[in-house]
Amino acid sequence: MEKISVTIDGRTFEAEKDRCVLDVAHENGIYIPSLCYNSEVTSSGGSCRVCLVEAHQGGRMRLVTSCNYPVRKGLEVKTDTPLVRRIRRGVLELLMARVPDSEVILEMAAAEGLTEPRFRKDEGESERYKCIACALCTNVCAEVVGVHAIAMTERGADKKPATPYHKPSEVCIGCGACAYACPTGAITLKERDGVRRIWGRDFEMVRCSVCGTPYIPVAQVDWIVSRTGKDRSFFDKCPDHR
Amino acid sequence: MTDVTKDATQFDRIIERYEKTEESLLAILQDFQREFHYVPEEGIRRLSEVMEVPASKIYAMGTFYKALSLTPRGRHTIKVCTGTACHLKGAPQILETLERELKVKRNGTTEDGEFTLECVNCVGACAMAPVTIVDEKYHGQTRPSKIMDMVKKQVGS
Repeated sequence: MEKISVTIDGRTFEAEKDRCVLDVAHENGIYIPSLCYNSEVTSSGGSCRVCLVEAHQGGRMRLVTSCNYPVRKGLEVKTDTPLVRRIRRGVLELLMARVPDSEVILEMAAAEGLTEPRFRKDEGESERYKCIACALCTNVCAEVVGVHAIAMTERGADKKPATPYHKPSEVCIGCGACAYACPTGAITLKERDGVRRIWGRDFEMVRCSVCGTPYIPVAQVDWIVSRTGKDRSFFDKCPDHR
Repeated sequence: MTDVTKDATQFDRIIERYEKTEESLLAILQDFQREFHYVPEEGIRRLSEVMEVPASKIYAMGTFYKALSLTPRGRHTIKVCTGTACHLKGAPQILETLERELKVKRNGTTEDGEFTLECVNCVGACAMAPVTIVDEKYHGQTRPSKIMDMVKKQVGS
């Protein structure tokens, strides 16, 4: 891998060419807020606009989303200029207006000294009250899990992740990766009496033979077994008791 | 409307006309739309099976494109342009007349399944305002007093 040097906030770092600015910054202890990006998911990022930074290159400056902007030779990044702060505040205000119930966004906004957005708050339906339509959940389901149970449906202001016809999905394995990845906690996953409920479907859970804790949906075990050929008995015990 | 039970062969007849690639999906969905006047759920399921493309992906396409409808539609579609020019030239009156005469709300389908009434925002034919489109045919300078006769004449009922 070709190494290049990149300057972020006045400090120079060695980095692999074409890695994203956000990853390089975070690895070197420079914090850039972000929502829709997960470094484990190639197809994530570029939608929430929270991670905007100034990219100076070849005598020009552009505001770019650091989560999908590649580091190149001679790139200089500034993450904390008056312009970046002003634009980021604007983005956060829009997000606050869109999903007034999201604690994560309220916290992020508070860090910028914001308590109320300038814009009228969205009434919204409860199901997407916290969803910012960033598609991280659908990307995780498709790319990491490989199940494609959910996809981004509708468009414009109505865009939201959903299973086909909003019915319980036959292909979903109940792994909960979407809920785990969701930056705003918009996906509900409930567990009770050894049954997990997500996307409107109930999943029976496998109980650990040692501690009795329900820890993985039967459907997920089926999926892993069919994909990897791993012995089913492996899942008799939870990770703590293997 | 006669309810035809849709079995897989009806969909397969359309699907087999196309190559088994993801690029064919939209064309197939358009054919479904033409044939059934909407994209049936069974059609999406069958298409997903045959093409080995996740149903969620095809459903998402169905919700994205305005030209595709996921709920049953009338045999004929009437689109009233409510763009700026048409609006000024009396599109609201055209729309009201159609709603009253056909006993249907905008974006709804008549009880007998004959007509679906829709509003569209500018079809790029402002010089002909107000424009009403019945199925694929564009009618310009439409008037509330003449609109029903015109529709009946075209669909022959």
